[in-house]
Amino acid sequence: MSFNSKPPTASGPAHSRSTQERLTQPTGRGWDLTPLLWICCAAILVFIVVNPVARLVLSSFEVIDGTGYTVDNYLAAFGRWRHVQALLNTLVMATGVSLLAALFAVPLAWATVRTDMPGRGFVRLGVLAAFITPPYLGAVGWILLAGPNAGWLNKIWMAASGSDSGILNIFSLSGLILIMAGNLYFFIFVFTSTALELISSEMEDAANMLGANAFRTAMKITLPLVYPSIIGGVIVVFLQSIALFGVPALIAIPARYPVVTTQLWQFFESPVRAEVAAAYALPLLGITLALLGLQRRLLAGRGYTTLAGKGGERRIVRLGLWRWPMFAYAIVVMALSVLMPLVVLVQASLSRAWGRGFTWSNLTLDNYHFVLFEHVQAQTAIVNSVVYGGTAAMASLALALCIAYMVKRNVMRGAQMLAFLCMTPFVIPGLVLAVGFYAAYTTPPFSLAGTAAIVILAFTTRLLPIAYQNSAAGIASIHPEMEEAVRILGGSRATAIRRVVAPLLKRPLVGAWILVFIPACQELSTAIFLTGPKTRVMSMVMLDFSEEGRLEQLSALGGVLLVITVAIVILGFRIVGRDFMLRRA
Amino acid sequence: MHVVNPRISRRAFAAGAAALAATSSTRVLAALTSEAEKDLYAAAQKEGEVTLYTAHYAADLAERFGSAFTAKYPGVKVNVVRTTAQVAYQRLTQELKSGGPQVDLFQSTDIGHCVELKAKGLLEKYVPANATTMIPSLQNVDPDGFYHTTSIGIVGITYNSSKVQPGEVPKKWPDLLDPRWKNQVSVGHPAFSGYVGIWAYEMNRLYGWDFFEKLKANNPQIGRSIQDTLTMLRAGERSVAAGATQTALEAKLRGEPIDLVYPEDGTIIVVAPSAIPKGSKHPNAAKLLLEFFSSPEASVVSLTGQQDGIHPNTTPKGAKPFQDLKTIVSNANALVKGIPDIKEKWRDTFGI
Repeated sequence: MSFNSKPPTASGPAHSRSTQERLTQPTGRGWDLTPLLWICCAAILVFIVVNPVARLVLSSFEVIDGTGYTVDNYLAAFGRWRHVQALLNTLVMATGVSLLAALFAVPLAWATVRTDMPGRGFVRLGVLAAFITPPYLGAVGWILLAGPNAGWLNKIWMAASGSDSGILNIFSLSGLILIMAGNLYFFIFVFTSTALELISSEMEDAANMLGANAFRTAMKITLPLVYPSIIGGVIVVFLQSIALFGVPALIAIPARYPVVTTQLWQFFESPVRAEVAAAYALPLLGITLALLGLQRRLLAGRGYTTLAGKGGERRIVRLGLWRWPMFAYAIVVMALSVLMPLVVLVQASLSRAWGRGFTWSNLTLDNYHFVLFEHVQAQTAIVNSVVYGGTAAMASLALALCIAYMVKRNVMRGAQMLAFLCMTPFVIPGLVLAVGFYAAYTTPPFSLAGTAAIVILAFTTRLLPIAYQNSAAGIASIHPEMEEAVRILGGSRATAIRRVVAPLLKRPLVGAWILVFIPACQELSTAIFLTGPKTRVMSMVMLDFSEEGRLEQLSALGGVLLVITVAIVILGFRIVGRDFMLRRA
Repeated sequence: MHVVNPRISRRAFAAGAAALAATSSTRVLAALTSEAEKDLYAAAQKEGEVTLYTAHYAADLAERFGSAFTAKYPGVKVNVVRTTAQVAYQRLTQELKSGGPQVDLFQSTDIGHCVELKAKGLLEKYVPANATTMIPSLQNVDPDGFYHTTSIGIVGITYNSSKVQPGEVPKKWPDLLDPRWKNQVSVGHPAFSGYVGIWAYEMNRLYGWDFFEKLKANNPQIGRSIQDTLTMLRAGERSVAAGATQTALEAKLRGEPIDLVYPEDGTIIVVAPSAIPKGSKHPNAAKLLLEFFSSPEASVVSLTGQQDGIHPNTTPKGAKPFQDLKTIVSNANALVKGIPDIKEKWRDTFGI
């Protein structure tokens, strides 16, 4: 019903200029606050994005240990083939991760939202758990599973085949891609399933009537309708995989496959060259720009609004016997992304000594007791993580939503620029961004060193891109005609937003909040630089544990993080009247 | 590198604290009879607090040092910021750029940081009187007195005892090159780990780059930090490694099949130094804190975290006493000059 052939709202005005102008004019009732909103958003972005990034740009031209400006840092960063090679490697890896993540996520999203596949709730829970499991732990789990010498899977293979060498080697590009995709596909899953939730069955019915089977309908009708969400998710995964450090540190180095983050880290080793790191990181902004341009091109000339004023029914597709192959596929994805690594995580967290394997004498609950009741820092860090993560998630979503609305409804010239600013932090590796924050806000008049404020600000900045992609996808799916109706009847834009847009966005927004909250709870790269003794977060304690080789306690803390996050997620959906993860109550 | 077994450390701490308390009336008083120290304490009391950036210890052990200091010198509070060496260094340089350091005592695990800071004239010279109580080979790492050993790490040969037969346990570094360890050796990366950088530097100094060419033939697993090697041993993925002895010992005490050897041809001692940045806000308290870290009491606190002390006879449980080892303590300046070249050669040889 709403697959209209107008130009898409995703990339330009969806309606005539005159409507456009009428919409931006204040009407009798209520004051149009749009320009003020624009100024507020812009001011906030200047504070949390432009200023820290500007400091970075400036520092990338600074002479190391001296005064004056130079391009030497760029020569140092890109004048070596090794460094360029790392960049190319990263692009290959990120492409692989994005493709595999889409392959994992899209069928699962379709199956859990639109079909009668069995175990849908279980699959949703599993997908969420895959995302919450810190990637570092997932990587350790996979080393145990598919290490070339002692991996469990390889041992099974050797026993079964009589071969004296395993067949899997996690220390490889494909291993790297598998682990990262297994953690990140959640983004595409949530973007896609949120969009699928909003599509009514009418067009699918039409396809069915014309003789298409369930899969053909899905491929030709359902999935094309949610392209903007899939592409938005893929972009997020692509950029996230570029920025991740933990997994490459464990897998890419042994695989002898240098990537950008491992290269960046070396600039911080003695002799420290933060200026070169800035120079190396900043051109990555070009990648974001290119991706956003690509997104516009891909979506241009088609309409994707799925939620218009007229009613529509959403029915579940009956898969018949195909339910089971679909379920099997879901189980394979679950096993790869969460079940198998999670077994290792749980085993480690319940072990006295992880290396001793499964024995009764090795079983203990001490690790949980330790992180919950004994280790003072772990306790405060748990509270800090939840509070900072929650606050930053709210802040970044509020800001992203305002900007996404201005962009998608074209209410203000220059909104697109704000959107770009929102996406900027994504490709600036957290460590480098944190240096910018430190330079900008630890000196007077701000003097925010060691405060919760600077951590929350930095988290907000880090999460802004995810929040923005999500908000933009949400707003793009709502047809402007409903707001127009309000305006025609004399309501102000504020009324339209409050009474129409906000209620419609409530569900997608809770999904978005979770997407932002979970990475906030895991955020390490900015935290490591900006937290003080009183503001440590869980990821820092985990890093300490990992540096100290305390994998058992690290796993236990990971388990605690998992439980807390799931609890908060469930609570979130109860509040908006939904069952776990968007299922209808 | 900083391992704290909660239970052992707690018990040991209680014992240590009791010992300190028992002797405090005599020893601390005796210590305070030094005129210089009394003056320093009085000046530090006026400053009231001191900020420490430390990469030496795990967070809980670092806090314990802070409380032990304040217990000895009431009225001087320690703000402990525990972080990694790179972050501590980056924060300090950032602060020096923008109007003076927030930190009063800087503790890195990378001696290169102190060499750089000293070369730029950013350190305050202070030679703690207590430095003379330390193990002689750890004294005077900087002959000019700008930075001082306050902690050490030890690199030896670690192995998985369930995969290595007693007869084939490596005794010296070149034993790792034996073809029997093909696909079985684990090492860190000199560009990611100061420990590995120093180890690689010393191997090159002792045996030439040929050592690494032969190592390459054994297809070693290259991790990032020196700690990654222990993860590989624990997973059974690799059998032998150039690893940190402290964490290996810790795993061994927990009953894991991990053991260690102090190589006959030299155990590598990684010196972790402390220094006072120029222009610090609490210079007297910083000096007093540095005195404290150089004193035998500090080594007692170290032991509560199963961490090697820097004074004679302060070896943690299960470790071989320092004086019985053939040790290699590298020259700081030579390291700083030599390691960049080592990293380059490493990348050429191993391709990462």
